[in-house]
Amino acid sequence: MPVNTTLADFSNGLLLSTLILYALAMLCYASDFAFARHRVIAGTGEADAGAAAPEAAAMPELVTAGAGSGSAPASGASQAGAASLAIGGRQGSAGAGTAAVAGAAGLTSHGGPSDNAPASRWPSGFWLRLAFGLTCTGVVLHVLAILTRGLAEHRVPWGNMYEFIGAFTCMAVLVLIAASVWYRAYYMGLFVLLPVVLALGIDLTWIYTPAGALVPALQSYWIAIHVTAMIVAIGLFIFGAVVTTLYLLTDRSQRRLAAGLPSWSAGIWRHLPVPSILDRLSYRSVLFGFPVWTFGVMAGAIWADHAWGRYWGWDPKETWSFITWVVYAMFLHARATAGWRGRRAAWIHLAGFACLMFNVIGVNLWITGLHSYAGMS
Amino acid sequence: MRTALILLFLLALASVPGSVLPQEGIDPSAVTQYYQSHPSLAPILDRLSLFNVFSAPWFAAIYLLLFASLAGCVLPRTFRLVGSARQKPPRAPSNLGRLPASATYTTDLAPAAALDSAAGLLAGRRFRLHRGDGWVSAEKGYLREVGNLLFHIALLALLLSVGLGGVFGYKANRLLIVGQGFANTPTDLDVFRPGRLVSPSDLQPFSINLLSFRAEYVTSGPQLDQPITYDAAMSYRPQLGGPVKHYVLTVNHPLVVDNVSVYLIGHGYAPIFKVTDGTGKVAWDGPVPFIPVQQTTLTSEGVVKVPDAQPYQLGFAGVFLPSAAVSANGQLESVFPGPLNPRVSLVAFKGNLGMNSGEPQSVYTLDTGGLKRLPVAPRPLSAGQSVKLPEGAGTITYLGYQQWVSLAITYDPGQLPALASGIAALAGLILSFLVRRRRVFVRAVSGPDGGTQVSLGGLARSDAAGGFDAEFAELTRLLRAEHDGRSVQASRIGDGTVDGPDDFDDRERGRLAVPAALTVAAATATDQASTGESGAGEPPPPEARPAVSRTAETATPEAPAVANPETLTGREEE
Repeated sequence: MPVNTTLADFSNGLLLSTLILYALAMLCYASDFAFARHRVIAGTGEADAGAAAPEAAAMPELVTAGAGSGSAPASGASQAGAASLAIGGRQGSAGAGTAAVAGAAGLTSHGGPSDNAPASRWPSGFWLRLAFGLTCTGVVLHVLAILTRGLAEHRVPWGNMYEFIGAFTCMAVLVLIAASVWYRAYYMGLFVLLPVVLALGIDLTWIYTPAGALVPALQSYWIAIHVTAMIVAIGLFIFGAVVTTLYLLTDRSQRRLAAGLPSWSAGIWRHLPVPSILDRLSYRSVLFGFPVWTFGVMAGAIWADHAWGRYWGWDPKETWSFITWVVYAMFLHARATAGWRGRRAAWIHLAGFACLMFNVIGVNLWITGLHSYAGMS
Repeated sequence: MRTALILLFLLALASVPGSVLPQEGIDPSAVTQYYQSHPSLAPILDRLSLFNVFSAPWFAAIYLLLFASLAGCVLPRTFRLVGSARQKPPRAPSNLGRLPASATYTTDLAPAAALDSAAGLLAGRRFRLHRGDGWVSAEKGYLREVGNLLFHIALLALLLSVGLGGVFGYKANRLLIVGQGFANTPTDLDVFRPGRLVSPSDLQPFSINLLSFRAEYVTSGPQLDQPITYDAAMSYRPQLGGPVKHYVLTVNHPLVVDNVSVYLIGHGYAPIFKVTDGTGKVAWDGPVPFIPVQQTTLTSEGVVKVPDAQPYQLGFAGVFLPSAAVSANGQLESVFPGPLNPRVSLVAFKGNLGMNSGEPQSVYTLDTGGLKRLPVAPRPLSAGQSVKLPEGAGTITYLGYQQWVSLAITYDPGQLPALASGIAALAGLILSFLVRRRRVFVRAVSGPDGGTQVSLGGLARSDAAGGFDAEFAELTRLLRAEHDGRSVQASRIGDGTVDGPDDFDDRERGRLAVPAALTVAAATATDQASTGESGAGEPPPPEARPAVSRTAETATPEAPAVANPETLTGREEE
């Protein structure tokens, strides 16, 4: 069946609009950082954010936040609690006594989970609402762009590098939205959209491939299983890698402040939760992503067995998906090993993501193998 | 765990050269090419098995060590799991307020009645119970460790399955020209790689004939030249002398005969030549497979060897262009993979082909050592055209072309076990990520005012998926409602999780009442460099050590004086 070029062009237009909306959303997220004040966000990373909101107030990290910049162990726990909640779960100097009153009650009087009104899971503040709205509109257009591309081509719309990048960036934004709502991780918007916008820009300019049919090797229902799983996993891993990067940066900034050293970036990280919350959020993304990746590799093996006559043949793509799997497995083990938690584990996490990115981009561009479907030769 | 980390790292590192350097098992011609372009480096790399990474002894050493360490870890843990599943949950600690999650309230119920209803509530939620004087302990979530062990055991099974396939299976390749056939015997296969325990008589006795081959390509637009379909129609006999069956072999749809799978993995052109030698005798008449050197347009190269030619042996090196056209720079090249305008151009040699030297020769290359190039002006031949060779060497006629397909034939008895292991591994992984093992304790004592003081405490290990806090809060709420409890005195619903090894270490049984980190207390502050792997002596990482108590906790009367606030913090995480 011939390609519907009108629809394919429409899809391109949609993707470009998506890119513009994401860029605007980024600006709004940045404006939120710059202009919004005293918003109590509780980026607790709790799955049951709505129900467990009061617990969020009692999260140890919040307490750490209060003491984060080197204040001596407070003798009165309630004092520390007050300081911490005042900055609403955001990281900051202990000297941020500006709103110290606000949270004191919330912490000292939690008689039970039902006693406190749960914090809203929806964004608050003009800029944040606008940013989130733009992100959601963008992702709707993004999904439509992918759908129309698929309809134009009469096939699964992830058969080459251009389509693949379009799909996993969409997944990354969907993960961002889910994390924003479930874990109230709205602070991630700016940082996740940055790589997404860059990737989409590169995708639309240098990697663009016109709509067309699939080569025989890809004509299998396994493309819907294997590649979809990979897209979901990559979306999750992108989110995880961004969170981990932020974890390392905020952790560094906090340690510098604790040591009495200047930290030029502390003003930015003030808008983020304390490192341990970021650390947990990144861990969660791997907990989701790793089984999906495992499934994707297995589905790929089954497909390889159908198409090439062996389920595992150390094709470069297979080798690098194996390396990626091993490094993420290292991360999971490091999390349970003394002396490796925290920053070292975070570095392993980033190493795993680097392997993943090399697999997605490097192997397609520089190494010839059976997976050379990038459509860029 | 540390060993596993190092071995995993080595495994990942060792795999890298396998993807960067050409590999014998994947693309032998690329290795040959590498030898030519790096003549001094290649032998050194070869000595290090770097062209055969995945079957190199050092690679095997790494994964065997990894699996040995895995087995050494999994077996004792399995026994421990079985042991702990038979034991009752440990006694409730005396001071539940020191647990990561705790709550206290008073009720008018008698202590025994309060404990009864607590036990009922927990049993209803499928906790395992242990009751004592004034307390109830409950534990749940053994499936977490089950999943964890299942995952690791399944990985061992996966490795065994791969080994099984390698020992009892075989791989083979066969290039088949349309109109030809072959039988599944070692002599009739181009490449035959049997497993260690496969003898030639084990091969399933089927035979295959290629009836026709059809390739379709995109003929216009930006995707010009891209293939759309490959169909290879074949007839086959599953058994010697058995009935003939038919199958259209396509990519992604292998033919399965007798548990052996036959795959379509390549195709190309085989120009047909007729060579008449100097004596006027027909010394060759038939198709010769040419190998594509340019995948998009299927420009192919090949050689024709005519050892029977008299008085000299003849050899030809040729290029086949399926759709020949003159390019912008005046060269003749193929512009499309389909046979729109097939042409062959040949270079002719006479002399000694070197085929009698005893050394095996590739049918796709010409050893020009004993040959003399004949002065023939290169000319693209179309079907039916001939070249008369000078010096009375004979004539070669290009008659047309035929297509060929290359087939991969594999038999892998380890396939199904590998799939089963993979599914089991995935199931175990998901199980271990979803389930958390947690303990809940309830104590009830008569209070000074005549009421009963009920305290709850809880902790979860490796609460990867989160949510223990919510569960504990819910339990507290339900129990309090059931007891009609009033005046909550203390509640701590933080992150009821203790970081540590994947399970409760049952060596700690009896004293695990208090999470490890709590008992280790401030001693760990000076002990950060400790590298112990067990949860017990393990210092919390710096960022997991809040400097102050995590909650505004009202100390219960029997709470010991706390020397250092850290003793209260426990560890967060997971």
